[in-house]
Amino acid sequence: MNITTEQAQARVPVTILRPHGEVDGSNYREVIDRARELYQTGARHLLIDLADTPYMSSAGLVALHSIALLYMGNQPPDLEDGWRAIRAVGEAGGGEAQPNVRLLNLQPKVTRVLDQTGLLTFFETYSDQATAVASF
Amino acid sequence: MTVTLRIAAELNNLAAVRRFVQETAAALGASTAATDNLVLAVDESATNIIEHGYRGQPGEIEIEIGRAEDTVVIHLRDQAPPFDPTRLPNPDLTLPLDQRPIGGLGIFLTRHIVDAVTYRPTSQGGNELTLIKKVDSPHHSS
Repeated sequence: MNITTEQAQARVPVTILRPHGEVDGSNYREVIDRARELYQTGARHLLIDLADTPYMSSAGLVALHSIALLYMGNQPPDLEDGWRAIRAVGEAGGGEAQPNVRLLNLQPKVTRVLDQTGLLTFFETYSDQATAVASF
Repeated sequence: MTVTLRIAAELNNLAAVRRFVQETAAALGASTAATDNLVLAVDESATNIIEHGYRGQPGEIEIEIGRAEDTVVIHLRDQAPPFDPTRLPNPDLTLPLDQRPIGGLGIFLTRHIVDAVTYRPTSQGGNELTLIKKVDSPHHSS
């Protein structure tokens, strides 16, 4: 899937990640991989702009959860073993419950699945990019 | 009336599965909200079949959609080794983020957004998962 990035400067450098398209079991790993690449090159504050993501299955939630753990300082998940590897990282736990990952421009269907699974409470959400960037 | 899609059990086909459910459920008179829920439930179920049933091996998924009175009934059939997702426990949604197992939300979401989920092994040695969703009357659908 097409994923673009942008750098912004607030009190800290903020990286904006934009997946373009629906996130499902076929492409959620690409979102994690891009976020991991950014982390490995020094990004520590990530704003995920979901303006162009009208739909997300639980696979997309796996991506958001994995990225949040990654930016909390957990070992990046090794996706070679698929879901089992990702689940193992989650079960390992650790890190702080204040992820440096925030969400921008949530679309209604994505908001719904995040809310239904209780994950929405773990992310600060914004509808304005300038405000979101300044929040870090 | 029932409509059936037979499609290779590949993650790259999930978008085609969603389009099929979207178009068929709408044609059967389901409201937009009910259709959205059915699309997500079938996506989650098909993903489980591909990931946990076939486990990367080639196979096929048959998706049959029909209307029965005030419900839309969807059967997903496959020939993967027996796998009953209805026996999976719900995740503990009270755990903090860093203590939650990643994943396991698919069957939880499915249970949450349809009215009934049942499983039976088929006589051919495969699996049949049935999703039932109450929908608006066609005369009152939005």
